[in-house]
Amino acid sequence: MCASVKYNIRGPALIPRMKTKHRFYYVTLFSIVLLGLIATGVFQFWPHSIESSGDGGVEKRSIKEVPVVRLPAASPIPERGDLSCRMHTCFDVYRCGFNPKNKIKVYIYPLKKYVDDAGVPVSSTISREYNELLAAISDSDYYTDDISRACLFVPSIDVLNQSPLRIKETAQALAQLSRWDRGTNHLLFNMLPGGPPDYNTALDVPRDRALLAGGGFSTWTYRQGYDVSIPVFSPLSTEVALPEKAPGPRRYFLLSSQMAIHPEYREDLEALQAKHRESVLVLDKCTNLSEGVLSVRKRCHQHQVFDYPQVLQEATFCVVLRGARLGQAVLSDVLQAGCVPVVIADSYILPFSEVLDWKRASVVVPEEKMSDMYSILQNIPQRQIEEMQRQICFSSNLQEKRTFDVATGIIFGIARWFWEAYFQSIKAIALATLQIINDRIYPYAAISYEEWNDPPTVKWTSVSNPLFLPLIPPQSQGFTAIVLTYDRVESLFRVITEVSKVPSLSKLLVVWNNQNKNPPEESLWPKIRVPLKVVRTAENKLSNRFFPYDEIETEAVLAIDDDIIMLTSDELQFGYEVWREFPDRLVGYPGRLHLWDHEMNKWKYESEWTNEVSMVLTGAAFYHKYFNYLYTYKMPGDIKNWVDAHMNCEDIAMNFLVANVTGKAVIKVTPRKKFKCPECTAIDGLSLDQTHMVERSECINKFASVFGTMPLKVVEHRADPVLYKDDFPEKLKSFPNIGSL
Amino acid sequence: MPLWRRKSFWLALSVSWLLLILLGVFPLRLAVPPGPLPGCSQGWPRWLDAAFLQSFSQSETLPKDAPQLSQAPRGSSCTWGACFDTSKCKGNALKIFAHSPAGTTTEAHRRILDSLEGSRYYALSPTEACLHLFLPSQDHTCGPLPPYWNGGRNHLVLSLYPAPCTRLGQAMVAEASPSLDIFRPGFDVALPYLPEAHPLQGGAPGQLQQHSPQPGATLLAVAEEKGRWRITDTHASTCPWGKHCEQDPGLHQTHPGETLPNATFCLIPGHRSAASSLLQALQAGCIPVLLSPRWELPFSEVIDWTKAAIIADERLPLQVLTALRDMLPSKILSLRQQTQFLWTAYFSSVEKVIHTTLEIIQDRIWGTSAHPSLMWNSPPGALLALPTFSTSLKDFPFYHLQQGSSPESSFSALIWVGVSSEPLLKLIQVVAGSRYCAQILILWSSEKPPPDRWPETTVPLTVIEGRRKASDRFFPYGDISTNVILSLDAHSTLSTSEVDFAFVVWQSFPERMVGFLTQNHFWDEARGAWGYSTEMANEFSMVLTTAVFYHRYYHTLFTHSLPKALRTMADDTPTCVDILMNFLVATVTKLPPIKVPYGRQHQEAVPLAAEGPGPVPEPQPLAQDCFSRVAAGFGHMPLVSSRVRLEPVLFKDPVSVQRKKYRSLEKP
Repeated sequence: MCASVKYNIRGPALIPRMKTKHRFYYVTLFSIVLLGLIATGVFQFWPHSIESSGDGGVEKRSIKEVPVVRLPAASPIPERGDLSCRMHTCFDVYRCGFNPKNKIKVYIYPLKKYVDDAGVPVSSTISREYNELLAAISDSDYYTDDISRACLFVPSIDVLNQSPLRIKETAQALAQLSRWDRGTNHLLFNMLPGGPPDYNTALDVPRDRALLAGGGFSTWTYRQGYDVSIPVFSPLSTEVALPEKAPGPRRYFLLSSQMAIHPEYREDLEALQAKHRESVLVLDKCTNLSEGVLSVRKRCHQHQVFDYPQVLQEATFCVVLRGARLGQAVLSDVLQAGCVPVVIADSYILPFSEVLDWKRASVVVPEEKMSDMYSILQNIPQRQIEEMQRQICFSSNLQEKRTFDVATGIIFGIARWFWEAYFQSIKAIALATLQIINDRIYPYAAISYEEWNDPPTVKWTSVSNPLFLPLIPPQSQGFTAIVLTYDRVESLFRVITEVSKVPSLSKLLVVWNNQNKNPPEESLWPKIRVPLKVVRTAENKLSNRFFPYDEIETEAVLAIDDDIIMLTSDELQFGYEVWREFPDRLVGYPGRLHLWDHEMNKWKYESEWTNEVSMVLTGAAFYHKYFNYLYTYKMPGDIKNWVDAHMNCEDIAMNFLVANVTGKAVIKVTPRKKFKCPECTAIDGLSLDQTHMVERSECINKFASVFGTMPLKVVEHRADPVLYKDDFPEKLKSFPNIGSL
Repeated sequence: MPLWRRKSFWLALSVSWLLLILLGVFPLRLAVPPGPLPGCSQGWPRWLDAAFLQSFSQSETLPKDAPQLSQAPRGSSCTWGACFDTSKCKGNALKIFAHSPAGTTTEAHRRILDSLEGSRYYALSPTEACLHLFLPSQDHTCGPLPPYWNGGRNHLVLSLYPAPCTRLGQAMVAEASPSLDIFRPGFDVALPYLPEAHPLQGGAPGQLQQHSPQPGATLLAVAEEKGRWRITDTHASTCPWGKHCEQDPGLHQTHPGETLPNATFCLIPGHRSAASSLLQALQAGCIPVLLSPRWELPFSEVIDWTKAAIIADERLPLQVLTALRDMLPSKILSLRQQTQFLWTAYFSSVEKVIHTTLEIIQDRIWGTSAHPSLMWNSPPGALLALPTFSTSLKDFPFYHLQQGSSPESSFSALIWVGVSSEPLLKLIQVVAGSRYCAQILILWSSEKPPPDRWPETTVPLTVIEGRRKASDRFFPYGDISTNVILSLDAHSTLSTSEVDFAFVVWQSFPERMVGFLTQNHFWDEARGAWGYSTEMANEFSMVLTTAVFYHRYYHTLFTHSLPKALRTMADDTPTCVDILMNFLVATVTKLPPIKVPYGRQHQEAVPLAAEGPGPVPEPQPLAQDCFSRVAAGFGHMPLVSSRVRLEPVLFKDPVSVQRKKYRSLEKP
């Protein structure tokens, strides 16, 4: 387009010099060309904008119009399912090539109508839920419409419910799919398997190697690590909105709401009710409902009528008993109501059990112990239940979230969370299934236990320290000192000389942050016993101090300003020793504090002599080199750029980062001394000092808002050598020269 | 019109035409994403009549007749609910009885039995047990079945090697690296494949010296036959394993020894015989990359292996290699640390492996009150975190970070009284003066009856009658109402300031002991044993429990998890209690205790503060002997030394005393 505009301008410039008749001719010619160009351009870009703005590419058709496929009676039938299938034996992983997103590609076969030789349909074309399921896959990142690039194939033949299916013909329909190949990499969804009288626990349609996402698997039909166990979707999930219920005691301790229960089990339940009266409620279908009332939505106890599923919210524990099938839709309703399911179905594989920790959200009772159920549930400590309840009313207030008590076990919260994340819609079920398969194929990008199981409230408040292993690194490793400098060469050389006296120093790295001036010649540098390396930076940025340079070989890093010459060798060596004992913390010399200013209603920076510490200045601090990586690549929000732009507060940012990721306080080492730090040099000019303090306070407020919380921890201690100022011969102390001014 | 102008005009015209044509043909291909042309079906169609579709369960009217109760087949496909009778376990406590193995007792059997005897699961008679242990002989016959066999019900067939016979009626099988085809998840237990010389107790700690990989460390080592390892370079053109690579595998440096090279990842092939390499990798802190393992990973029922290893498909070598090379440092960091944690928590000794097996079975019996997954998968591990203490994770000292909770803000003082002495009243006042003190408990262990009157205090004061045993002081009394305990001796001298400061420090280190007086351990070359010294030194590794803050949980752990032999020894030698507690806490934390300042005036006043609760000072040799016996009992030396003392921020700084919060600590 740009190019054409350019010629457009040049064209008319030529025109006045020509003869009139030529001129007319040329103008016409040009106009045609121009028009053509514009038209082409518009034609090019116009349809695209339509496509991206709507679903114009998606067909609007009627289901009745789908092509009909005739299945000859003699067409092949797949083998029965192979029970020994595992991912590495039955799944063709070569179809799932490497891709940077680590996402499998899923293809959906187009919808067809299958009829037998006589022209009788094999089944009803598609159910509402399966249509929703395929649409959800199609809308997801997994979807591809290119069959040759697909890794997983989903037939559009609906087998969610086995009952209306003609088993043999359905199998024949599967076998004639274009990429069937013994069912390799094909995924079938089935929620209601088996049929009367014996109700198999897996789909009876022969399916050879196809993966089965099935509701109601038992240990005997479930191929661990190959099949996926899914919930039986409850249509009530979309029809009824149950609000999340506030914590507090619920009216019933135990409730049973299912209608089709084996008489033996109903006897057991009724015996429980007879024994515990008020606290147990056993419901059944209503026999005396007037016409027009949906029987699915009502339950009765004797003559009392209850609304279902609302009544589930009145109970602490809700029975989920096996019926003819192991998987029951009531499980979904129970979870939605935030009631703790008591699953009584021996050998049942709970939905998504490969990734979900059902111990946290349910109680499993063996069928033969049904009569003891009440006492089993009562043995769950009241405290555990109370804490579970507290979890629900969890405030999402970001400022306060850190101080809240979060409990685990939290069955109530977790039950509801499971429903919200994995049960509430067909889409949730479909995507969780694909995620599980995806995690098997790209295990190094898999979702963790916590991501699957922790409710969002827990995820926000919990801290997982990246250096969680209690470990004291060996002294022999030593540390790398990193001096950030601009042009104060003389002071820099003094710092180098002083630091080089520290026994555990293993390397010295000078970050030369001045682009206009070359560092001094090699011969001028102080001669020290460890390697000295100068890194020149491309831009004068404060964040250069925290860059994870390849030259850093030790885990411990000492960040030191080019004017910190007052630290003794003993003090630095001791600082390193302290870091070894607390390798996940910032260990520094000058300490600072943040305070809440009640008048201004915001945070304030404090550098006075206080009894508390929440930050250490990185003008002289030891820390783990991993934090360099975090600072450079994982700093939240725009903090890194903000610091570089303002040329200030890189140390506060580092303190925030480390405290946020480890949940731990800094360690200030050795007594206070006069430091040549920004605040201290400015002490003469009071106004300068005040500006500085205001700026620093601004930083704290800015960072707290970016982090969404105040991660800094206030402590009242500092670290000194064991015998510091003790009545003990100085000569025998490991670090005698501590605290001298 | 001049020629050049005409020329340029025609040029412009033809360029325009060319552009027109180009735009008309090519950009169409460029602009549209590769794939079918628009107009063709994209994605699943939105059916016009979707609203009329029936629900899948529509046709499923409620089954009229009662459902069948088909009883599942038993035996070959046992599940926990079907094949184990939990009602035999009284009070839900697992008790295991070991039938003396048939025929000759092999070394492996002896080691299993030894580690059982020390555990809290050990039953002395078959009648009190709800689980019977059967150790099969290593020949194919498995040896004769024990009495009480009962079809294998409530039996555990345990073999530290792949079991010779795997299907024994309804018995659970715990064997090394069981094949996936026969393993019954939730019923059988998968054990690690232990090397012959695996230590019985304690065991070597993990070899990891630093959290992050050393720069320049090899990326990959490949497990080979007989525990050998091969270092390989990982250029995309080479392919480190398998038959799928046609190229020459490139230069390899074969590692001659059985020790593991310093590599970040350790590739372990999928066949069962390679299973023994897993433990080697774990110990070395090398992240195991398991290629389609055909065997069940050890303790997979409770251990989340995705946190410590990568289980990849052996058919995609290049893809796995690329993934390893591109792995984020944060992920590598956490995987590495987890390998070390798992090694020390569950695998480093035969005893730990056996105890973990029993703990898993105990968890199944407990059901809802079993260890939550977090306890199994984060330090200190499930063997050291007893769910009998509490079902709430925040009651433990270890999980505050993960739970986003903070330690309690008040403590209970527990004062042990051996011989009634004068300072007791003063001590009570000092402790009660602390604003963090919630209650005072007097543990009366003296021969004399406790006095009738106690001083008036602002906090409740309770007297507990001890059983006059040294281990009394670490008993989990129900009267203790807070999670923090300040353990004191009747003749301890402290100031309120010291108590306050120590408590505030404890809140930052809730899993450690925070104490005032310290001792240090050392290896005594002359005696060839561990010794300790109470002298003032630059380092310390133990704090005296005569004045120390720690978490109440350690009382439970002390009483319920320590082997009986050690506790009896502590009762015989009172100074031992102190040492034993320090060993226990160090085993859990792997870190030194915390020392806070202690006024010199006390040190002079109570020269024997180091003496422990016993009425008569124990002679030093006996204490030294106790120390080495405790070390032997633990099987390793858990104590860690520290060179740090934590002090108030302005401690002895040249500022006005008025500014200081803990003034009395400054007194000379």
